[in-house]
Amino acid sequence: MAVIPRGLNYKGIPLWRHTQVIQGALQVISALVAVSLVAWFFLNISGAIRDRDIPYGFSFLSREYQTPIGHHFLPYESSDSFLYAFGVAATNTLLVSIVGVILATALGIFVGVSRMSGNWIVSRAALVYIEFFRNVPLLVQLFFWFYIVLALPQVREGHVIAERIYINNSGISIPWPYAPNLDAGLLFIGLAAIAAFSGLTVHRALVRRETLTGVNSYPVALGISAFVLVAAAAWLFVSVAFGEAPFYVSTPEPQGTFGRPVGGFTAPGGLIALLVGLVIYTSSFIAEIVRAGIQSVGRGQSEAARSLGLPYMKTLRHVTFPQALRVIIPPLISQCLNLTKNSSLAAAIGYSDLTNVAVTMTQTAPAVSIFIMIMLAYLAMSLAYSLVGNVYNRLIRFV
Amino acid sequence: MKGRTAIILVAIMAGLFALIACEEEATPAPEATPVPEVESRLETVMDRGTVICASRDDVPGYGYLDANGNNVGFDIDLCRALATAVLGDPNAIEIRLITAAQRGPTVQSGEVDMLVRTVTWTTSRDAQWGNYAQTMFYDGQGFMVRKDLGIDSALDLKDASVCVTQGTTTELNLQDFSNQYDLNITALTFEDTDLVVAAYESQQCDAFTNDRSQLAAIGSAFENRDDHVILPETISEEPLGPVVPHGDEQWYDIVKTVMGMLIYSEAYGINSGNVPSAETGDTVVDRLFGLSGSYGQETLGISQTAAQDVIRNVGNYGEIYERNLGAGGINLPRENGRNALWADARCTDCPKGGQIYAAPLR
Repeated sequence: MAVIPRGLNYKGIPLWRHTQVIQGALQVISALVAVSLVAWFFLNISGAIRDRDIPYGFSFLSREYQTPIGHHFLPYESSDSFLYAFGVAATNTLLVSIVGVILATALGIFVGVSRMSGNWIVSRAALVYIEFFRNVPLLVQLFFWFYIVLALPQVREGHVIAERIYINNSGISIPWPYAPNLDAGLLFIGLAAIAAFSGLTVHRALVRRETLTGVNSYPVALGISAFVLVAAAAWLFVSVAFGEAPFYVSTPEPQGTFGRPVGGFTAPGGLIALLVGLVIYTSSFIAEIVRAGIQSVGRGQSEAARSLGLPYMKTLRHVTFPQALRVIIPPLISQCLNLTKNSSLAAAIGYSDLTNVAVTMTQTAPAVSIFIMIMLAYLAMSLAYSLVGNVYNRLIRFV
Repeated sequence: MKGRTAIILVAIMAGLFALIACEEEATPAPEATPVPEVESRLETVMDRGTVICASRDDVPGYGYLDANGNNVGFDIDLCRALATAVLGDPNAIEIRLITAAQRGPTVQSGEVDMLVRTVTWTTSRDAQWGNYAQTMFYDGQGFMVRKDLGIDSALDLKDASVCVTQGTTTELNLQDFSNQYDLNITALTFEDTDLVVAAYESQQCDAFTNDRSQLAAIGSAFENRDDHVILPETISEEPLGPVVPHGDEQWYDIVKTVMGMLIYSEAYGINSGNVPSAETGDTVVDRLFGLSGSYGQETLGISQTAAQDVIRNVGNYGEIYERNLGAGGINLPRENGRNALWADARCTDCPKGGQIYAAPLR
């Protein structure tokens, strides 16, 4: 007769000592705590808003805004709605941010590489640049650039540096293409993108052929010709189809009593001061990030490259930098976010960015709602940057 | 993973904001009286020992700093008058310096007892910000330009760039004016009046728009005042006065009464030099200065002789005007203007042509 050992009565670990249960419960509890904290916070706010009769709601969005916006990239009239005006202001911020990020990254890489230069003067100059601009508050720098812009020649002096390029303390006016027919313009831009794509494809195919066969294939020259050819065909097609060229060049011309340039594209003084300030400030941080990235690549790598006979710049481009990028990208993204958020200081120097315009909106619309919209807009922009950055980061990963 | 967390975060935030919005619409009015009994603002001020006023320090005449760094000006004096009436001490004030755009949120939140920062009375502000007590100054918006532009009318500002302070009715009026006369004016908006002036002085913009009295005040500080001219057009109505937070009727009434004291005592010829401390026989004057009868001091919760303290320490409306905006300040003429009294006491010589008037104190 077999005896059932006591151990077979074993029914498993009791629930309260089960690791998975404990961990699951902890997750649920912490989630509940987090959600209730946030909920308490918002309910408290909404309660206070109600008690104090602070106006709240979003019905104003379809109302006419009826207030000027100093500078806008999208067309804007005072009869446009609050929502559209908000979008116009957000576009201003977005463009400042995109242009700023591109320039700051380029300048930052340049300064960062200079900082690593063997040339004593270049490296010291980069050091001074970095330490100076990194350690002075951005708002102070913006004021500095603003007053520099104010010191430029005045509009009525009609200051020109080259034919049709006006520079004065109200801004810089340059010739700019404009599309008399929006559909034709957009169609041409679409076709031009296709032209660029075909140029790149030709270039890539020829490079491949060159590396595989060793036959001289002139990838750059032929790639560019392909682009120009397709673009010219597109131009011709659009011109014939719509009866006029898709784009004309509009040149700025001083007009009226005040001699303000009309036509072309004018970047107002506030925008210039803002961009210069943001780019220089952010580039000093990016320079340090670039330096850290380059230094993170083992010295053996560059020494190996040198012993293969690669010159300094080629070593940097083909050996050091691609490896350094892994270290550079994540903090670089956070600098891009900083630049975007810092652009909200524009109100101080009179540029109509998102914050500036939206704060003006609080005059005729509920402030709480407006600020919620501002926060969500910046949040959306930052998340979009993070997304792009993370995707890129994934692409350049080793494994 | 990271992307999903972000999406969840946004979703939660959006959801919570929506929650606020829904609740707001779902509960139109609180049932019965769930509002907890809170300390009245008068009690709060008494306990605190100071009156907190939101104001400014960048416009001569209204609110600026004197040589010793003290806050002085027309708006500041109104705050002093209130502090004297409630606490008996003209110096029991705390001035919070705010920008134009901060005015609404500051008074909405109730963090200050009174907002006196050249605030134009408009209906939407009255509904959203707080209660307007009394118009203490009638202003209107104008333009200042350089003389050498050779402009003599605001209608010549076609395609001009105009400097303006952010968050002001000025900004809104400018657009209306530009639309109405098809002037295509570009606004250059700054948060800070100082920068507006800097931009105008270095000709980043062609004209500078603000309330006329402020143009005069700021212009008086220019190096070459004669190079600038204020154009004749007035494009808006700008009645200026103090604002109190919504929700405390007693405090609102006190502020209205104090503003009334200043105006009323001028009408009756009482200034800081001749405040009566014993009955004069003139019933109206005696009532005003708490020597006989009452104008509601007990209900308001202020001392019987509050007016004596106020006029003795701060002066009547005319004295405040002269000291800050008139000959003693930025030299804005008052005689026969809108800011003269509407009438003397008992209307012996009326109307005098002005619009400054207060409800009778009785």
